[in-house]
Amino acid sequence: MLKPVFVSTLIFLSGCTTIVIDEYRRSDGELAMGDSVVILGRRHSSDYETEPDLISCVGSELHNPELGVHIIPEKEFVDIMYPWFEPRTAPMHVRSLDRLLENAGVRERMEAYGVKYIIWIDGSTETTASAGSISCTISTGGAGCFGFGTWDKESDYEASIWDFRDRELSGKLSADAKGTSYMPAIVIPIPLIARVKNNACKGMAAQLQQFLMPLRGASS
Amino acid sequence: MKHGIKEYCPIRLMAMACLLLLLSSCSHTVQVADDYPTPVGEQIPLSVGIFLSEGFKNYTYREDSEDREEWNISTGKAQKKLFETVLSSMFSNTVSLSQFPQKIPANVEIVIVPEVRELQFTMPRETRVNIFEVWIKYEINAYDPQGEQLANWVITAYGKTPTAFLKTQEQALAQAINIALRDAGATLYTGFEKVPELRAFLSGKLRAASLQEFKVKSRKFE
Repeated sequence: MLKPVFVSTLIFLSGCTTIVIDEYRRSDGELAMGDSVVILGRRHSSDYETEPDLISCVGSELHNPELGVHIIPEKEFVDIMYPWFEPRTAPMHVRSLDRLLENAGVRERMEAYGVKYIIWIDGSTETTASAGSISCTISTGGAGCFGFGTWDKESDYEASIWDFRDRELSGKLSADAKGTSYMPAIVIPIPLIARVKNNACKGMAAQLQQFLMPLRGASS
Repeated sequence: MKHGIKEYCPIRLMAMACLLLLLSSCSHTVQVADDYPTPVGEQIPLSVGIFLSEGFKNYTYREDSEDREEWNISTGKAQKKLFETVLSSMFSNTVSLSQFPQKIPANVEIVIVPEVRELQFTMPRETRVNIFEVWIKYEINAYDPQGEQLANWVITAYGKTPTAFLKTQEQALAQAINIALRDAGATLYTGFEKVPELRAFLSGKLRAASLQEFKVKSRKFE
């Protein structure tokens, strides 16, 4: 009887996250049968790196062959296009694609994979503040922790959607998420984690799905 | 004697074990090994010999400065794989050479010899940024079949891994080195024809080939 109450209390008490999504759309998405989308992380900045797990999270949330959204995994795409999508060589602007496509091998592989959109995600999740302390002791009589810890996390991501076939920027969207996690410890530590990055991923994926499949997104 | 062994061995063994534990706790070993993708692009019409010295193939960086922990970073196998993969796809024909400058096959036009000049790394606690960073500096030499130097250029590769991505320092550093090696391959591939001496060599070769073609055609008309 007590167990479900305890679990539901924990879920209720889990850290909260707020997320704000902004979108700028120049044209609606138009994915035809056989078209693919590539989601890539920007890795050129010296002080942060877009996390590969965020990219794969957005990819797996968006990947839905039944709806016609086929996502090429980041690692697979970067490997087949080596060395043209490495941090140092990756195109920074849509207009740089023209120069890249002068390379016949790159052009052929892009066509073979049916790449319609390249989505660049730039940003990171960081711990912005932390407070409190928890101390744990082990003795012959047993072990236990006591204290309270809290920390804030912030996600800041921007996704640029490039239409590869029309060589134009189709739109941009940004996701800002904030959340505070708590860890009270009375004998055992109880983590109440705010899943900031995960929520940013889901928010971006939902918005990207509306962007790529506007009609289906509206009907669902 | 037997009595002595019984009495002193456990103490010595314990002391040795403690010493080994102390040494191993301060020493880190990183073995970098990965597969690198084949570059996509057009091949340069050149027959190239690749000579990778034993020092290059078995390269291990040893960090033994007083203000740092001991690190043994072995990049030899990985960089051998990388250079062989990248150079083989760059040129229309490549030959792996076991000796240089002796015994060079007759069809080889250029011999490429890479060397590691420097490897540097920084740990998050040194820079106060949550990133492991690696820089590798390669010196690439190009020789003609007679062993005369045609060109010499430097490639600086950079790789980084945020601390949050991996569990141990060794894993994080190995990943940063892999990224740096991929960067080295990318720079080698995209920068070869930008080296002035090599550009001149290639355009001279193309000019000679078109002149030869022109002579053959002229003879046919005669």
